[in-house]
Amino acid sequence: MATISPMGRRIEISPGLVAWLGVLAALILLGFVNFIRQSTEGHHLTGLTNDNPWGLYIVGFVFFVGTSAGATIIGFMIHGFERKDYAPLGTRALVFGLMSLIGAILFITVDVGSIPRMMRLPFIWRNETSMFTYTSITYYFFAVLLVAEIYLAVKITRGQGSDSEKLWAKWLAIGAVPFALIVVHAPHGSLFAVVKAREFWNTPLLPPHFAVLALLSGISAMTLVATASSAASGRQVLSKETFSHLGALLGLFIAIAAVMDVFDFIVFSYSDTITGNTAMDFLRGSNLPFSIVHVGGYAVALTILLTKRGRQTPWLTVAAAVTLVAIASYRYNLTIVGQAPPLMPFLESPDYFPTWTESSIALAIVSFVLLGYSVLTRVLPMEEDAGSLSEIVKE
Amino acid sequence: MTTYGMVIDLDKCYGCRACMVACKIENNTPEGHFWMYMFRLEEGEYPNAKTTFLPRPCMHCEDAPCVTVCPVKARYKEENGTTSMDWDKCMGCRYCMIACPYGVNYFGWEEPEDISYLDWDDPDVKAATGGAVPGYANPDLDGRYGEKNAHIAGGAHKHGIVGKCSFCIHRVEKGLDPACVDNCPGLAMHFGDLDDPESNVSQLLQKQVGFQLLDETNTNPRVHYIGGSPPSKDARQLDIVKGKE
Ligand code: SF4
Ligand code: SF4
Ligand code: SF4
Repeated sequence: MATISPMGRRIEISPGLVAWLGVLAALILLGFVNFIRQSTEGHHLTGLTNDNPWGLYIVGFVFFVGTSAGATIIGFMIHGFERKDYAPLGTRALVFGLMSLIGAILFITVDVGSIPRMMRLPFIWRNETSMFTYTSITYYFFAVLLVAEIYLAVKITRGQGSDSEKLWAKWLAIGAVPFALIVVHAPHGSLFAVVKAREFWNTPLLPPHFAVLALLSGISAMTLVATASSAASGRQVLSKETFSHLGALLGLFIAIAAVMDVFDFIVFSYSDTITGNTAMDFLRGSNLPFSIVHVGGYAVALTILLTKRGRQTPWLTVAAAVTLVAIASYRYNLTIVGQAPPLMPFLESPDYFPTWTESSIALAIVSFVLLGYSVLTRVLPMEEDAGSLSEIVKE
Repeated sequence: MTTYGMVIDLDKCYGCRACMVACKIENNTPEGHFWMYMFRLEEGEYPNAKTTFLPRPCMHCEDAPCVTVCPVKARYKEENGTTSMDWDKCMGCRYCMIACPYGVNYFGWEEPEDISYLDWDDPDVKAATGGAVPGYANPDLDGRYGEKNAHIAGGAHKHGIVGKCSFCIHRVEKGLDPACVDNCPGLAMHFGDLDDPESNVSQLLQKQVGFQLLDETNTNPRVHYIGGSPPSKDARQLDIVKGKE
């Protein structure tokens, strides 16, 4: 069955698509029911405690702010490096970036104690010394930037873009990378880095580490977007050479992130403070599965990407997926282990693990991001429809 | 100018935890929320082991990290030096809990009546209370207070907001000492104006060299300890009090 979207795009409604959207909708519904329970019965339904006040929701928030960088990377490839072979991914990247940012904001929304009060941040209530205030402003600006870019991309694809709009699209795409890295992602790391009471986070290296991880998350997410779109449409949206280039980029950024992690590890293993020792105990003890997925994930992905075949589908898909899971594990360890060292030497370390309620709400947000992406990339015109769309528009 | 502060004489404290109970009763804090916590610690090894005590309210830090990070200014400094908490502004992000080096903040993980020490639905309890559930608020703090015209923590305990020691500002305004100070049978706790050289707290600090908890964090706490030393690295906690599991 097929239908035409309001934007003039032909949508194939296959049984596979219906099943995919159905599963996502079911997960969203389940998470929503649990979110209502959490709102009415209390946050005690999560695994959070006074000793470990940030958990899975903050991990999800940090993860999705990171993947939103993907939107800027592809735009910069197309307009900054003049790599027109990435053009088929342009609008998809922007849509994924926007949905990621919405996902990040949803994670904060389910985490806070009062949503109506959170809505007043930053335009009605704000504290200029709080990194939270600063980052919340940048998320809004980033979202506006992405919406503007999507609007221009859609107009251009439909053959309605003026020359000045094309120029705007180009310069917005080029400007988005420094904006994202310097204004959004590095300060995002400062949310943690400025907290003096948590020695594990309190390092000026955390903001650049966050910027590198944002690039890595973005490239992994875009690789998955490219391979998933190819699988869904039954034809390769990028050429073999472009996939290979994307694979090489992915490998390069895994290597950079891994080197940063190695030095982090060396510094902490030599640290004889309570924080250093506790962090190492956690990374090698209760958080070991996450440490294994983090380190092992990078190793597996790098090994795949070192081969020529590994930089083509389906291995490239595996490498990108494994990298994203490794990054999520790193984010989990960073958030949880950062709160593990006792504030005073005689206090116990907290013992946190996400509950079923918390996990189902997190899964619902991930599903919402995927559902939004799946629907929008079918309804909105994508670059490959340019010819047929302009005919529809003219009719 | 007035700068309220507390001096706690560890030599006089005998670990009875009356301060914890007094704070609970005064401020109607829910179960598991200890705006005042009294640590019983064991230090050293047998036969040289000793027991020490460390009462811990909010430090009302001069450079309070909780105030710096709170995105909505729910946490702020009053002119009298107290670190105040406007519960009616708190959005429950728990950034203050992350930033505070002393662990003195408590989040309302659920409505207080659901985590009270008594089960209000229990037939025996109902028979005694007539079915009434107490308002988890401090009736002396139900209005607005101070130059920020804020709803001070203690005026309510609710799901989704953070609470902490208010230095019993509602009592101090009436010329009383905080509840924990007033109820300390060992006379170990003292409260007053640190800016007034004649005040009891200033006099005590002039006579004895004190210490501030975790002074390496540079928060400059307004709670000073005398008559003892900071807990050693090998200190172990005894008799840990928790909320309902
Ligand atoms: S002890 Fe903690 S809550 Fe109290 S003023 Fe200092 S930082 Fe803030
Ligand atoms: S939980 Fe409340 S008081 Fe604490 S930082 Fe967030 S808004 Fe401020
Ligand atoms: S000053 Fe008041 S609120 Fe603070 S610990 Fe003492 S009794 Fe509790």
